[in-house]
Amino acid sequence: MVVEGPTSICWEENMAGEERVKELTQGLYNAVIKMDEDAARELSQAVVDEGVDAYYAITNGLTAAMEKVSELYTAGEYYVPELLLCSDALYTGLDVLKPHLTVEEAATDRSVIIGTVEGDIHDIGKNLVKIMFETAGWTVHDLGKDVLVPRFAEEQAKIHADMVALSALMSTSMLAMPKVIEALKREDPDVTVLVGGAPLTRDIAESYGADGYADDAVEAIKEANNMLARLGR
Amino acid sequence: MSKTKKTSGERMETLLKGDPLDRVPFLSFILGFCARNVGYPVSTIYSDPEKSFQAQVFTKEQYGYDSDPFFGYASYGGCEFGGEIKLPDGEYEQAPSNKRFAVQAEDDVDRLVLPDVQSAGMLPLAMQFSKLQAENQMSPSVVVGGPFTVAGNICVVETLCRWSIKKPDLAHRLLRLATDHVVSVVAHWVETFGKGRVSVQIWEPLASNQIISPKQFEKLVLPYQVELHEKILALGIKVILCHICGEQNLNLPCWAQVPMGDPGIISIGKEVEIDTALEHFGEDHIVAGNIEPTILQAGTPREVYEVCGRAIEKGKHAPRGYALMQGCEVPVNTPPYNLYMMKKATEDFGQY
Repeated sequence: MVVEGPTSICWEENMAGEERVKELTQGLYNAVIKMDEDAARELSQAVVDEGVDAYYAITNGLTAAMEKVSELYTAGEYYVPELLLCSDALYTGLDVLKPHLTVEEAATDRSVIIGTVEGDIHDIGKNLVKIMFETAGWTVHDLGKDVLVPRFAEEQAKIHADMVALSALMSTSMLAMPKVIEALKREDPDVTVLVGGAPLTRDIAESYGADGYADDAVEAIKEANNMLARLGR
Repeated sequence: MSKTKKTSGERMETLLKGDPLDRVPFLSFILGFCARNVGYPVSTIYSDPEKSFQAQVFTKEQYGYDSDPFFGYASYGGCEFGGEIKLPDGEYEQAPSNKRFAVQAEDDVDRLVLPDVQSAGMLPLAMQFSKLQAENQMSPSVVVGGPFTVAGNICVVETLCRWSIKKPDLAHRLLRLATDHVVSVVAHWVETFGKGRVSVQIWEPLASNQIISPKQFEKLVLPYQVELHEKILALGIKVILCHICGEQNLNLPCWAQVPMGDPGIISIGKEVEIDTALEHFGEDHIVAGNIEPTILQAGTPREVYEVCGRAIEKGKHAPRGYALMQGCEVPVNTPPYNLYMMKKATEDFGQY
């Protein structure tokens, strides 16, 4: 597999020289794609120690790599094990770099409440969707698995998230979805709801009153962004 | 008027022998629905062998499918190795789930030992159920997970995924224990009921391509799966019903290398087309499937009937036989008439 690199380098803002910035950013990119947590940690620390802009390193190194990982997943080159390990490397790097972001850089303008619905303890799909949202810069409020029907609306009343994402793996538990959506829309008629999970289809999602549907984690973030774009948000 | 001539038992025996059938057999992957059907809580199907058996016998009689009652659950292996499962108790639950995993950290793997098959987890209840099967002139059956699924129920499947790449020794250790355990369980059933009497079901949902790649399947799962089936068949088991759950299309060339008996029964999910399954298994095994549980739960009776009709038309002339079956467990909230539509479709479309 050819590991491509980040594209544009804005090295003037950094204390380190252009070549070093390129080297560190490319290193972070490669560390995520190659699932190398140690490299992600060491290179992120080097970014901090050498005064390279943390925001730049995150967007052009770590999250750019996760976009590539998404492509590899969609293309059937990466599966869940690789996705999990790439995200481990991503989060390792973010743990080091995030404290060095400015308040403005750390701020995210989109938020999502996410959870696996009541009666369902299968959360691997939900966790993959969470990774994709976080990688795309969303603030994620993860309610976990087997989340009781009223909890989503209660959380939305507090958070006023841009979106609520619901997951279900079982035919039986997906029946909780229309009840969750009904409660959410009653609480906040403007809330947008995205659903996904093995037993669902786009038709079922629509019949449940959901605003969007996604087949997998990579589709979920694309669909979420498209949904908000359609609403002009 | 129905043209059905054989009893369910006769039809299944004929199917396995490869003799001419009166109609396509109808197998049901059905558990919690049976409990609801006779007014019991869904958990009864897993917690009370007598009531479970009774509920399944009554439901089989009512809906006319050909498969016998069985005791099994997809999270098999977790509590047998020391974890904890939770029985279904809520409005939206239908199967046991892992509440606490036996392996929480790497060190826990070293401490794992092979469970005592006489006392571990749900096995005593499964044995009680099988004794009821034997008393009622049915083949005692034992339902277990495949090695990858059992391993994923011992730890969390995400952990197994990570270890499969980063710590393969740990993944192999879990797969070894899972394989050896399942062989021991089947041996226990054979010792209890005698050679040639026991039937085996193996369910493998976690090794699907929704989680792992076909390369990972081939390298990591296939050797254990082949070993498991070879050892089970060597114990005198004639037929393995293997439910390859979920998206398994890219794994099919590997599954075709796994011995299932002569013939075995391959149960496919909605993700695998019947034609595709027949290409891979049709010459050697009976193919069963692939009616989508969601259609049973949310479809109209006409939709269920038509989907079943199309499935039967595709499968009924399979070289070693075809059986109409759900692609996974019948949802507990399935409208009863939809289940009846499966029976009606076998009678209307499945006559030979």
